[in-house]
Amino acid sequence: MPEAIEIQLKKGALELCVLALLEQHDSYAYEIASQLSESIGMGEGTIYPLMRRLQADRLVETYLVESPAGPSRKYYRLTEAGKASLASQKSAWSSFSGAVETILGGVK
Amino acid sequence: MTRQAFMARLREGLRGLPPSAQADIVADYENHFNEGAAAGRSEADVAAGLGDPGRLARELRAEIGLKRWEEERSASAGASAVFAVLGLGAIDILVLLPILMAVGGTIFGLAIATVAVFFAGGVVFAAGPFSGIPGGPAAAALAGIGLMAGAASGGAVLAIVTIGLVNALVWYGRLHYRLLKPALEPQTLGGVR
Repeated sequence: MPEAIEIQLKKGALELCVLALLEQHDSYAYEIASQLSESIGMGEGTIYPLMRRLQADRLVETYLVESPAGPSRKYYRLTEAGKASLASQKSAWSSFSGAVETILGGVK
Repeated sequence: MTRQAFMARLREGLRGLPPSAQADIVADYENHFNEGAAAGRSEADVAAGLGDPGRLARELRAEIGLKRWEEERSASAGASAVFAVLGLGAIDILVLLPILMAVGGTIFGLAIATVAVFFAGGVVFAAGPFSGIPGGPAAAALAGIGLMAGAASGGAVLAIVTIGLVNALVWYGRLHYRLLKPALEPQTLGGVR
């Protein structure tokens, strides 16, 4: 079931990617969505359920910024809990992906 | 799909949620279309990028339902969490429904039995001392209290078991969440609708 595996992989990685993007700089949903849809090929619409969840879990918080073009934008920034969650997910990800890489390299 | 059609389907899917949550979500997607238009993309392009509005609405609805269940352990929050998870299509409903109905029926039956035992205890407690039960009035009163206490603790255990079952279902639903499903087949979805 390659499709199911791909879904699970991307699902796990998506939250990590969003947190990592927000660590670089605060951002708004459209920007996050377009960056991620280009690089990892996720539907732009799925960013909104995820952002709501992150906000409900208090990993991110929002503030409004006047936009040059039209209405103000809702920016997201990491909370302290969000930074902590990113750090632990990051280390879990690198040890896991490192282990998979090693095995894949050995099989080749 | 046009912007109008997308928003109409989204609104339809969100119906029944708290009005403030609906307004928030609708504003998010309206903004997305505005940003897309400002970046020079067509409505159809933005809508295709967003994915299926019906599925998005189901995911948002599930997110809100699960959150509510985590915050308030009430019967209605539990029921809406269960339905939200089922609505995701993450669980094969044909497999699950008979099990769910059997388990739900058992819990319902036990709940009624608990209530009945509690009232029976009350009757024994109130009427027993006057009906000449062997052992005397004190024994009848104690038996009544015993029945009521037993029923109350049975009810408490039943509530804990029910909460545990709903939690298990919610956990399973989250695990199998098809959050990225539309991302992987935007073309097919765009073509069908």
